[in-house]
Amino acid sequence: MNSKKKHAVSVIARVIYVIALLVIWECVARSGILGPRSSLIFPSLEQIGEAFIKNFIKGYAGTSLWIYIANSMKLLLTGLVIGILLAFILSGLSMVSFIFFKIYDLTVSVFDLLPGIALLPVVIIIFGVREEVIVFLVVHAVLWPMSRNMLDGFNATPRIYVEAGKNMGLKGAGLIFGVYLPAAASYIVSGLKSGWARAWRGLISAEMIFGIASSPGIGLFINQMRTNMNNAEMYATLLVIIIIGVIVQYGILRPIEVNTVRKWGMTK
Amino acid sequence: MKKKLIRNIVAAGATLCLCACSGNAATTGTEGAADQSASAAPAEINIAYQYGLAYAPLIVCKEKGLIEEAYKNATGSEVTVTWTQMSSGADINTGIASGSLDVGFLGVAPAISGVAKDVGYRIFTNLSGQEHGMMSRSTDINSIADLAGSNEQIALVNIGSIQHIILGKALADNGYDAHLLDANIVAMKHPDGMTALESGNVACHLTSSPYIFKEHENAELHEIKEVNAAWPVENSFIVGVASTELHDKQPALYEALCSGISSSIDYLNGNLEEVADMTSEYDGNTPEDELEYLKKGVYTVETKGIFTLATFMSENGFVETSFSGYSDLVFDNVKGN
Repeated sequence: MNSKKKHAVSVIARVIYVIALLVIWECVARSGILGPRSSLIFPSLEQIGEAFIKNFIKGYAGTSLWIYIANSMKLLLTGLVIGILLAFILSGLSMVSFIFFKIYDLTVSVFDLLPGIALLPVVIIIFGVREEVIVFLVVHAVLWPMSRNMLDGFNATPRIYVEAGKNMGLKGAGLIFGVYLPAAASYIVSGLKSGWARAWRGLISAEMIFGIASSPGIGLFINQMRTNMNNAEMYATLLVIIIIGVIVQYGILRPIEVNTVRKWGMTK
Repeated sequence: MKKKLIRNIVAAGATLCLCACSGNAATTGTEGAADQSASAAPAEINIAYQYGLAYAPLIVCKEKGLIEEAYKNATGSEVTVTWTQMSSGADINTGIASGSLDVGFLGVAPAISGVAKDVGYRIFTNLSGQEHGMMSRSTDINSIADLAGSNEQIALVNIGSIQHIILGKALADNGYDAHLLDANIVAMKHPDGMTALESGNVACHLTSSPYIFKEHENAELHEIKEVNAAWPVENSFIVGVASTELHDKQPALYEALCSGISSSIDYLNGNLEEVADMTSEYDGNTPEDELEYLKKGVYTVETKGIFTLATFMSENGFVETSFSGYSDLVFDNVKGN
């Protein structure tokens, strides 16, 4: 099978898979197997579709879902940029200093295990009750997995590459940019993907628990819908989260992967 | 090879769809069998409640097996009572709507929202009234009027919670729009809100017992009195809801449930010290503090103010349904207003 046909088959398979899931959902919703209040707790696709439109036109208490999405994306992008930059800087420094590597490796191992939400009381004391709390939780979600991937990638760099770089006169930042980063590119792209997913989930979770009404995010919208038993609107918002996730995954991260590590033959 | 692959994918999808569509028939059959054997099966009741002092009678009810006792006295049979602790009224509403819960104890505001949404329950008892209040550490904020039009942040547990409705009611009682301060709200759990207030990161915290008592002890904080006046301690805070299926189809069990809860409230009111020892372990307070807090609560089966609250919620857009009377909210046996 040539690559074009392989691609076509994979697209068809995924389309059929999605349609099958939707059909299953609709069958469950219409069958009433979840009891007499099935339509309330497990709305049909039609109800969810109507709610999807309603979320954007009417929103909640006069505020459209667009506003919630814009606020969330602003905080997410801020947190992502800070998290990725910190991961690059701190992981890079770890390759320059052995002591720094040992300390940072321990830090990553410890903080990667801590759920951001558990840190909320401390974060409130440090940052106050502001949007920065959410940004911090996004940075926390992205920094540690991204750093772990980068450290693993740097450590997996063949010794001969590093020695060759040094023989060519590279040291410090030159060695990082000239040898370590290109050699660990597949790890970095993988770290970007998992960092993005962790950040997106972390953002929604944080907003569900810590909701600032003056700059409301998608998590707060979901919470409001849950509280008011507007389940169709809640599922429609989950759909929005999925759509944004898929757009980023296939519209941004995939092209980065295809044009870098795949093009260079580092992954399949 | 290609055709075979596509055929396999299509077949797999079709199989999944057929399985799902035939699920109804299969389940209906199972339900039918279950119904037939229901009379022979021992009675069961699933009850969900939440965490805290306001639910103290339920700890008594659970520890002393009062529902089991009432059911045995009435019918001579055993009943299995399953208690589940859940984290929010919204989860309890979903549990009852899905049929996995028969009974839930939750704040009066989510209970009214549940009735409005036709979750399939009514209020069958009041459980407790508790102290609510809004504390501030800013010397510039001493009344609702000082907050109106400001951008000072107010921490409370959730938008749509009873604390949010009380804030709206305090505003309305003082001549303001009930949603005037909605944009000032920061939704966070009670302990986080207390931390935020005490560290000076929010101007106000609207909370309930026991956090309000802990904040009263802090000399740097003062209370905005209109909030407490909007929903005093005598008014219903936590209520019990029972599914209409339980009420209509299992009257003996419903009666035992009401009797068990009533007995546990009576027991609590008559044995405060013993109950404080029992519940302090669950609530994380010392027995002495627990006793003080229990004395400040009102534990009774009679509801107070719920129709007024439901009407307020309806008139101010917190729920989309309007209620014609108290009986829209409660089962016939419930006393109060």
